[in-house]
Amino acid sequence: MENTNLEAHPGVVTPKDIRGAMWRHIITLQWSWNYERMQALGYLWSMLPILKKVYPEKEALIAAMKRHLSFYNTNPQIGSPPIFGATVALEEQKYGDAVDSLKIGLMGPFAGIGDTLQGVLVRPLVAVFAASLGLAGNWAGAAIMFLLGVVWSVLMIPLFYMGYRQGTGLVDEVTGGGLIDRVTNIATIFGVMVVGGFVPSIMSKLTSPLTFHKTVEIAGKATTQTLSLQTILNQILPAIFPILTVGLAYWLVKRWKISPVWILLILVVVAFGTSAIGLL
Amino acid sequence: MIHGYSIWVPIILAILAYVAIVTNLGPGFTLTEALVAGWITGMIVGNVHLGLVIGATLTLMSLGMWTYGGATIPDFMTGAILGTAIGALGGGETAGLAVGIPAAILMTQLDVLGRAVTTIFIHGADRYAEKGDTRGVSWMHLLGQLPWGLSRAIPVFLAVWLGAGPIQSLIHSMPQWFMNGMHVTGLMLPALGFALLLNMLPLNKHWPFLIIGFVLFAYLNVPILGIALAALAASFLYVRLKGSANNGEY
Repeated sequence: MENTNLEAHPGVVTPKDIRGAMWRHIITLQWSWNYERMQALGYLWSMLPILKKVYPEKEALIAAMKRHLSFYNTNPQIGSPPIFGATVALEEQKYGDAVDSLKIGLMGPFAGIGDTLQGVLVRPLVAVFAASLGLAGNWAGAAIMFLLGVVWSVLMIPLFYMGYRQGTGLVDEVTGGGLIDRVTNIATIFGVMVVGGFVPSIMSKLTSPLTFHKTVEIAGKATTQTLSLQTILNQILPAIFPILTVGLAYWLVKRWKISPVWILLILVVVAFGTSAIGLL
Repeated sequence: MIHGYSIWVPIILAILAYVAIVTNLGPGFTLTEALVAGWITGMIVGNVHLGLVIGATLTLMSLGMWTYGGATIPDFMTGAILGTAIGALGGGETAGLAVGIPAAILMTQLDVLGRAVTTIFIHGADRYAEKGDTRGVSWMHLLGQLPWGLSRAIPVFLAVWLGAGPIQSLIHSMPQWFMNGMHVTGLMLPALGFALLLNMLPLNKHWPFLIIGFVLFAYLNVPILGIALAALAASFLYVRLKGSANNGEY
């Protein structure tokens, strides 16, 4: 029963409060995401169990809540847990001012690291692999894609405690060392090479049905030979249509900075055009 | 087979869409991935294969897309749910994509609306915080999921419930040239995802690896897993050789 007394005691943050804050952050951070202050309200609600303990008097609690209602946005699964963990540690020790500068200082770099890791490196590779299974009607691809999300959410737990233990030391931890650079190099080379193989494999059905009929005379007898355009093209360059299509889309996005929706429409027009003339 | 769905199918699919977006906002669950949403929808409407194929096609389109800093991207989850549900009524893959792709694009409008409406709750939270009302602040946050979830659930419900019949008859009256065009479109669309992905990778620096990967598959028929292993070896070699070159060792 001593335990319950301790937890009810104002000013003492218990491990249970810390766990509660962490789970609030994991499960709900972006539920109230909005254009004006983005993840701010989710951050405040996650921090609330800590703030209520640290600031039992109403005026101080109001001031602390208003601090956390200012703009905040970063990568939610990789970036925010360590920042949140570090600020929980700081709020616990009543370093309210340090909390604000830590949030503002780290949310940008952590958004960059997290979004690159998730959106550029890991997700596309897993998605291409999973989709190639899915196209073949294999449900394992979809299961892999679902598990990827579970991995992200489970990672939020150790990342939170890492931030909590580091406190303000988190800033030095991130900026020092060439580790991020090496990992990025390995991951991008891996990605580029695998994509090189994926383009002809995933789009292997994009072939031409066009055939030519040629009548030749063999020993005085007229014979009709059928030549498939695709067979001829394969001898020049296999997967030529996938290459041309990806090349066109890449050129549109790289050279002309056309938005994905417009490229999509252009591809639809090309697809209808080439299918109408019987080329594809 | 021409038949509609009972009222339960649109209700269950609407709940799926709601749960998918809300569990993505928090822990980053990937029910919002078209492949996963298509798979689950396929199980609900009784055509898993169709759900997987439509989901996989839409996932390939979305390769390079990520909600950087809260950007709006086409809603391929809703596209996969609607495409699978409508396609399973008889039109199959082609009809499903003909519904799913425009739906994914149109849904961007509702994503923007959902993100904008949620602004109401942060202003509410300002007022409650001013009074020191922590319960009020909590409610403002928890209710924030409504615009997010409903902006997906309501269109899914209406499109599957009301739309199935009309969309179905439309699909059956589609001319052959249109179906052919949609078929080729489906084959071409992964190019969009690849292009966006390549655009984010440092191709100026690493293009030789792209060609090696292509040659391994297109000429040597190495399976993808084999290419992945070769790529792993190549990337580690690159980093090691680069490191020793910088140190003056060879």
